[in-house]
Amino acid sequence: MSSTLRAPVEAAPPARPAAPAQARRRPSHQRRQSLAGVLFVLPFLVVVVVFLALPLGFALWLSLHTSSLALGDHFSGLDNYRQAFTDPVFLAGVRRVVLFGVVQIPVMLGIALAGALALDAISTRMATVYRFIAFMPYAVPAVIGALMWGFLYSKTFGPFAGVGKLLGGGPLDFFGGSLLLASLGNIVTWAWTGYNMIVLYAALQGVPREMYEAAVLDGASHVQIALRVKVPAIRQALSLAVIFTVIGTMQFFTEPSIMARFAPDIDAGYTPNLYAYAQAFRFSAFNYSAAISFTLGLVVFVISYAFVFVNRRRAARTP
Amino acid sequence: MSKQRRLSPRGAAGRALVGVVALGALATGCSSGASSTSTTAAGGSAAPAASSAGAASTGSGGAPGAVHIKVWAWYPEFKSVVDAFNASHKDIQVDWTNVGTGPDQYAKLKTAFKAGSGAPDVAMVEFQELPSFEILGKLTDMGKYGANDDKSLYADWAWTQATDGDKVYAIPVDGGPMALMYRKDLFDKYQIPVPKTWDEYAADAAKIHAADSKAYIASFGKDGGWINGLMWQAGCKPYTYSFNTAKDTVGVNLTAPACKKVFDYYGDLEKKGLFGKDPFFTADMNAALDSGKYWTWASAGWTPGYLAGSLKKTAGKWAVAPMPQWTAGGTANSDWGGSTFTVTTQTKHPKEATIVARELFGKSQAAWDIGVNKAFLYPLVKQVADSPAFTDKAYDFFGGQKVNQIYVPASNGIGDFQYSPFQDFVFSTLNDNSAAALAGKKDWSSVLDDTQKTISDYAKQQGFKVTQ
Repeated sequence: MSSTLRAPVEAAPPARPAAPAQARRRPSHQRRQSLAGVLFVLPFLVVVVVFLALPLGFALWLSLHTSSLALGDHFSGLDNYRQAFTDPVFLAGVRRVVLFGVVQIPVMLGIALAGALALDAISTRMATVYRFIAFMPYAVPAVIGALMWGFLYSKTFGPFAGVGKLLGGGPLDFFGGSLLLASLGNIVTWAWTGYNMIVLYAALQGVPREMYEAAVLDGASHVQIALRVKVPAIRQALSLAVIFTVIGTMQFFTEPSIMARFAPDIDAGYTPNLYAYAQAFRFSAFNYSAAISFTLGLVVFVISYAFVFVNRRRAARTP
Repeated sequence: MSKQRRLSPRGAAGRALVGVVALGALATGCSSGASSTSTTAAGGSAAPAASSAGAASTGSGGAPGAVHIKVWAWYPEFKSVVDAFNASHKDIQVDWTNVGTGPDQYAKLKTAFKAGSGAPDVAMVEFQELPSFEILGKLTDMGKYGANDDKSLYADWAWTQATDGDKVYAIPVDGGPMALMYRKDLFDKYQIPVPKTWDEYAADAAKIHAADSKAYIASFGKDGGWINGLMWQAGCKPYTYSFNTAKDTVGVNLTAPACKKVFDYYGDLEKKGLFGKDPFFTADMNAALDSGKYWTWASAGWTPGYLAGSLKKTAGKWAVAPMPQWTAGGTANSDWGGSTFTVTTQTKHPKEATIVARELFGKSQAAWDIGVNKAFLYPLVKQVADSPAFTDKAYDFFGGQKVNQIYVPASNGIGDFQYSPFQDFVFSTLNDNSAAALAGKKDWSSVLDDTQKTISDYAKQQGFKVTQ
């Protein structure tokens, strides 16, 4: 259930401004128009049904059945879901990614926003170079990135191992208990900060410059302009970045699965998505895996929707 | 996901690829089956979409109308073996693909079984996974196509694991008889005796740590297959299962004294701070072996081949001794890893697929020359293992020692052992509980009790009758 980036679909302006004289259209014309609309949407609909709705339906069907190794298939209703909601491994995984997100998302988006504002403020040729450099980690495939960090964190080869010695202890164990989540967070931040920075920077480019001029005339400082004019102006882009990041975080998979090579503490249920993968493709429990995936989807939906709701309320309150 | 599953050198090679690259050494050639991922918009990535790595050598040769048999395997240097088979068989041609190592391939195989299509004719499967694939009902009984004739060719323990009565679900290829690798130069220098029993081994552990406070006798590597090998060698046989006679009954007895004594032993060593905790098959572990941090590794017949490329500084300083014994003068042995060829039920040519499974390695000295000298496989074909070419082979890595004179008797001394039909889950649970003990979050003595409970609950949930 991976989400993909979709450009926000803007309502297309009416092809022709409807003049009052045309207010009463002939029904047949209307039918023709709606038929044309349906035809235009049809290819998209077919793709959605074949590649999204049907597989989702199959997964739902799977999650409502139980196929035990010894007994074969039978309908089991919500048993798998009951099991998921009481499975300590799954719940621990959900708690872990939530904790991870609560710390990592604000840190990452904070840095990305600061970087975007800084980029927006400098309008030299250097900005292009900075943009490119910031974006580079995102271009590195996640697997390669995780492997690379695996070595940077290494007790033996890594450049950071000496930090522990400087502090008077042994080499720092970046794959150990308390540091492990922070190590993973660092990798994700490294990979995605630049990406989000570019998204926010692009949104900033769309803010009319006249607003800044007006603010300057009103005697606002650079910092005030940044925080009071620019940030509210790109609120939409920011909340989109938050939602996508939340979805991505809940589906945390690649980095921990690669890091498991280095970090014994990353077990089969370290994140909910890893757990779903292990259940299906290691333990042959496809049905339970489907239930876990749906449960995870539900959690993502609730969190995303709660965020949107809170955001709207706040947006409505701000004058 | 903890990729705990070990096994054959190639599993190691796959994992080691990482270490190997960093060390600038030569990989023993095996693609690590990296998955392409569909990344989400931000932060993290979603589950991987399979991508197959490795080259398929499509048989362009053979007679017109030759039957093409698809094979999935991840042996190093396997292309030459396939080429040799294709050159010597007119009517059958092997189309080989490496779709990933161990767990990666199994994931694809299970998906193909679930989907009802897409599985190869012949698939490489490690010994511990055989019952897990048997119970899915997707392995062809090669006994119907004459495979029982090969019984006498293979090490007894291997044939027993690959078969169920007269039903032949797999043809053995390579194994991992366990023995003790140790740093001969350091043992000599500090005049520490090579341990013959586990008691002596524990005494040596204290001597080694006293001689060098940075050094340990070994690492406890949280590897299901390795832990299983140690328990097996202690006389622990926790699982009983027969797909043929009682497919819904499984015996799980991890709390027998023979099993628990292994964890009590390591718990005791850990209280004294006498072993390290580096996970196996990582660059750090290999560096630790190469830097003198670890002086021994109770490992398998394939391990030297896996290590030879990475241990540059200490090559030539190692030696092999038989496994330490629980009772003085005993000859208990066990296996860690190894693999087989199976024929899936999705094949349209079971007869020809059986021939491929039987003859790729089983009937070919040329294949074993490659397997032994280039891929460092331990041969389960008796004729190859007992041949002077194998037993008299001197290894530079071991200072010229003829180590197969240790490994061959070790393999011949391995008794019967059964795995459960959900061994991956067992190893995973065992690993997680061992990790908790290593991290001090769990008492060593309760690791097996907790594992027993989790496994029994899981088995009941899967509809098995669970016996002790």
